[in-house]
Parts: sequence; C-alpha cells; structure tokens
Amino acid sequence: MSDAIRHRLTPLEKSERRLGFAMLAPAFLLLAAVVLYPIAELIRNSFHFNHLAQPWMGTPFVGFENYVKALGDDRFHEAVLHTVLYILVTVPGAVVIGLGLALLANQPFRVKWPVRLGLLLPWALPLVFAGLIFRWFFEYNQGIANAMLRGLGLEPLNWLTSPGLAFFAICLAIIWKSSSFVALVLLAGLQTIPKSFYEAAEVDGATKWQQFREITLPMLRPAIFVALIFRTITAIQTFDIPYAMTNGGPGNSTETLAMYIHKTTVDFLDLGYGSALAVLMFIVSAVITSLYLRHTRRDPGRH
Amino acid sequence: MKLLRNRRAMIILAGLIVAANGFFPALWILFTSFKTEVELMRVPITIIPQAPTIENYIRVFVDQPILRFLFNSVVVAVLSTLLCVTCSALAAYALVRLRLPGAGIILSVLLAIAMFPLISMMVPLFQVMRDLGLLNTWWALIFPHAVLSMPVCTLVLISFFQDIPRDLENAAMIDGCTRLGALWHVVIPLTAPGVFTAGILAFVNSWDEFLLALTLSPRVASRTLPVGITLYQGEFSFPWPIISAALIVAIVPICIVIAIFQERVVSGLTSGGVKG
Repeated sequence: MSDAIRHRLTPLEKSERRLGFAMLAPAFLLLAAVVLYPIAELIRNSFHFNHLAQPWMGTPFVGFENYVKALGDDRFHEAVLHTVLYILVTVPGAVVIGLGLALLANQPFRVKWPVRLGLLLPWALPLVFAGLIFRWFFEYNQGIANAMLRGLGLEPLNWLTSPGLAFFAICLAIIWKSSSFVALVLLAGLQTIPKSFYEAAEVDGATKWQQFREITLPMLRPAIFVALIFRTITAIQTFDIPYAMTNGGPGNSTETLAMYIHKTTVDFLDLGYGSALAVLMFIVSAVITSLYLRHTRRDPGRH
Repeated sequence: MKLLRNRRAMIILAGLIVAANGFFPALWILFTSFKTEVELMRVPITIIPQAPTIENYIRVFVDQPILRFLFNSVVVAVLSTLLCVTCSALAAYALVRLRLPGAGIILSVLLAIAMFPLISMMVPLFQVMRDLGLLNTWWALIFPHAVLSMPVCTLVLISFFQDIPRDLENAAMIDGCTRLGALWHVVIPLTAPGVFTAGILAFVNSWDEFLLALTLSPRVASRTLPVGITLYQGEFSFPWPIISAALIVAIVPICIVIAIFQERVVSGLTSGGVKG
C-alpha cells in the first residue's frame, strides 16, 4: 500500500476489500476447477502406474519410475529434440517475417482493410486448417510446391514423406500461421515511434538502413520481446500443424513432445507415463511463462 | 512528380505483398473447392477452375453433419466467451479499483495459472469430465475454453478500466448506486469497446481450439468444426476438393466476424500484449 502512515481500515475500505475478493472468486474458482485440480491429478498420476490397457494391474504407487523411464526413452528424447528444433527455427523465423510484414504494413495506405485483413486472416484461421492447407500445398502429385518445381524444370520432391523436407514444410506452415500475429504486435510498436525521430535523422543525413538500425530496432525492442515470449510459449506446445500435415511421420521424425504425450495417453492408453511426460513439459513452459510475467509485472491499481 | 508516383506505387506494392501473403492460401483452397477430381489430376495443374462445380459443396453437407459441427462450435464459443468475459471483467475491476493488497501479485498468479499448457491438462481434464459425466457435452469444452482466453481478456479489460476516472463511479455511488451497480451502469457502458474486444478474442480462441475438442468430444455428433473437418479424410483417401470445400464452409463464419470487427481485434491483440 502506498500510504506511509499505517491506519486502521475504515468500514468502507473493509467492505470494499471484501467485495474485491468476492469479485475475484469466479475467476479463481474456474481456474481451480479447470487448471489447479487437473494439475494436482496430473502430478498424482505421474507417480502411479496407470495403464488403461492393463486394468488388472490396478494403479499402484511407483515413485519416480515413470520419470526414470523417460530418461531412457529414445522416442521421448527425439520428441524433445524435434520440439526444440521447431522452437529454434519457427520463433526467430516468425519474428523476422513478422517484422518484415509489419514494416510493409506500416505505410500510409489509402485503403486500409486489405492489409489489415491480410494480417488478421492467418491469425484467425484455426491451426489445423493451416496445417491442412499446407499439406495440400506440399502434396506430391497435385500440390503447388511440386508444380512450381516442375515449372522450373526440376524433379518434384517427396515433401511430406522424407524427414528433412517434412520438417521444413511444417516449419514453413508454422511461420506463415504465426508471423501475422507477431506482425500485428510489432505494427502497434512501430506506430508508437514518433515521426519526428525519423525527420531529425533525415536532416542529419542518415540512410534508411541507419534509421532502421538506430531508431526502429531499439524502439521496437519491448514489442519484439513480447512477441518472442508469446511465440515461444505457443511453440513449446506445437501440436496442431504437424498433426494435420504428417501426424508425426515419416516414422516419428516430425513428432513433437505434445504429440508424443497425446499418443502415449490417447493411443497407447498409458496414463501414468503420459502424465510424467506432461509434468516435465509443464515445468519447462512454467519457466518461460515466468519470464513473460516478470516483464509484465505491474500494479493494476496504481496508475 | 514522378518520384511521388513511384512512392505511391511502392506503397501499393507493400500492401499487395501483405494482403497476398494473408489471402493466398484461402484463395487457393477456394479455387480447389470448385474443381473436379479429374481436373485436380491434370498436369500441369490449373489455377482457376476450368469447369467449376458445386458438387464438392453438396458432398460437404451430405458426407458429414457439418451443420451440427458448426452449431457445436457456435454454442461452445458463445457460452465460453460470456463466461470468460464475465469472470475477467469482475477480476479486472477488483484489481484496478478496490485497493486490494498485493493486486500485482494476484494478477501474476492469475495469469500464471491460466497460461499452463493445455496438453498437460488434457488427461486429467478427460478424467474429470468423464467422472462428472460431461464428456461429449458442450460444458466439457466451455469451461476450459473460458480459461484459455482469461489472460488476454483480463489484460485488455484492465487497460480499459484504468482509463475511466474514479470520479464518475463515485458520483454514481453518491447517487445511491452500489459498487456492482456502478460497474454495470457506468464502467461497462463506458468501456464497451474494450469489453467487446475481449469478447471477440475469446470467441476466436475458442473457435480455433483443437486439442481439447479432439480429446474431450470423441463422439461425432459433439465435435466442433476444427475436429469435424478432419473427418472428411478417409482411411486411405484424401478427397482434396471436398476437404477444401469443407474448409471454406468452416472459414467463412470466422472471416465475417473478423471482417466486421477488424479494428477492434487489432487494438485488442496489441493492447493485451504490448502495453506494460
């Protein structure tokens, strides 16, 4: 509290405070039911054997056995590696493309809606739909990617059935889908930069490139940071697009951690092990989320 | 004069690139949806349909209960949006106005909980919903979807509530309004654009959600659009023209929503993230 002198709360303040906590209650009740209780269950599950295909085994407590199993599980290691690769490629990729789109969109257009809708459409499209559309682009016989290769007189490629190319195609789809959100965030950042900065730089004879490096980039830093964190949080959970494009194939070469958890629980019915994997993932994303929260921490009551 | 015209042309080119990047995939799907299987087989591929057919659209409605998927999507998105905006607005108002001790920390805790990864909640949520008998019902998706948008809605509403002068509410309360009355009669009407923005974001998030919808609604009749569309693929076949037509049918409603509310969506997306 801001007042230096400690004073007893007046009845009005007391009742305000009570009302305040009552108003927070619905949100926290919902969070408790949909997040906290399930997370507690998840952690409990992760220390138990729980295999729906072997109901006669019951659900005995097994300590850290599920976690130890993860240490030696090659498929889990590969899924983690793929997820990290997706993050390393698509997060910077989306930010670079998004910055490009934002710079292109930050012009004095006479008609604004085509550009605005051009940025909003990829954002509003469900991820699975983007995945399906890009799967269609990379189809061997009828896809547009191979049609272009043929047009250039090159051999068509097995985009979605060879590991490296499938990874590339998926990254392209993810970058397309997510770069427009990044562009919208960065565009808002660009519009807060005063025009006078550029005019002054112009007078001093700075080139466009110098203006970009010395004014635009430093001023955009907070917006870029927010975009990076948001993208990373969603990239850790990458599921929909590879699910729609390759379902993890060929083999498991494009399978992400989220997909492996989904398969372990829904297809292999191993709830105990799947839960342990989910706990591991949740710890990683909690670390990233806390970075974001530290950035946005502020007192909403003070302004 | 020529320099000016060149500049104009460059600006239009920049706009065209952004628009093309956004529209191209949807346009390609639109063209595909009017082609016949035979035309798709042709090499080199055609761009504009040579003999447009609406056969694919008929198949979309005949092969799967897509209107049912659409209805499920609308109900889940609308109800989860109402729930989310109500909870977020109450919480945001309490945090902004009611001098709670540690309001900043409460906000951080709220955001941190609401941002837990969905995939890690999937299995326990499945168990909870099964135990409550809510699997395959709208409620199984409405509650989690409301949480999904809570961070962005709360942040948007906080930034709007902060701009309302305290005096307005005080005046209303002197006139005999209660706190909640002042929130409902004074603050909400004044921040209607913000409430609206939060609502649209929540709606789109729910409309797009896939993983939970896939897991918590295994029965065909209770599926939402994103999950339902994946049903058009056969075991070994992938009927692209029909899937394209189904995608178009599914995309149109959300396109209309964002086209009508485009400015609000943009301001909401950016005020939730950057202000801070």
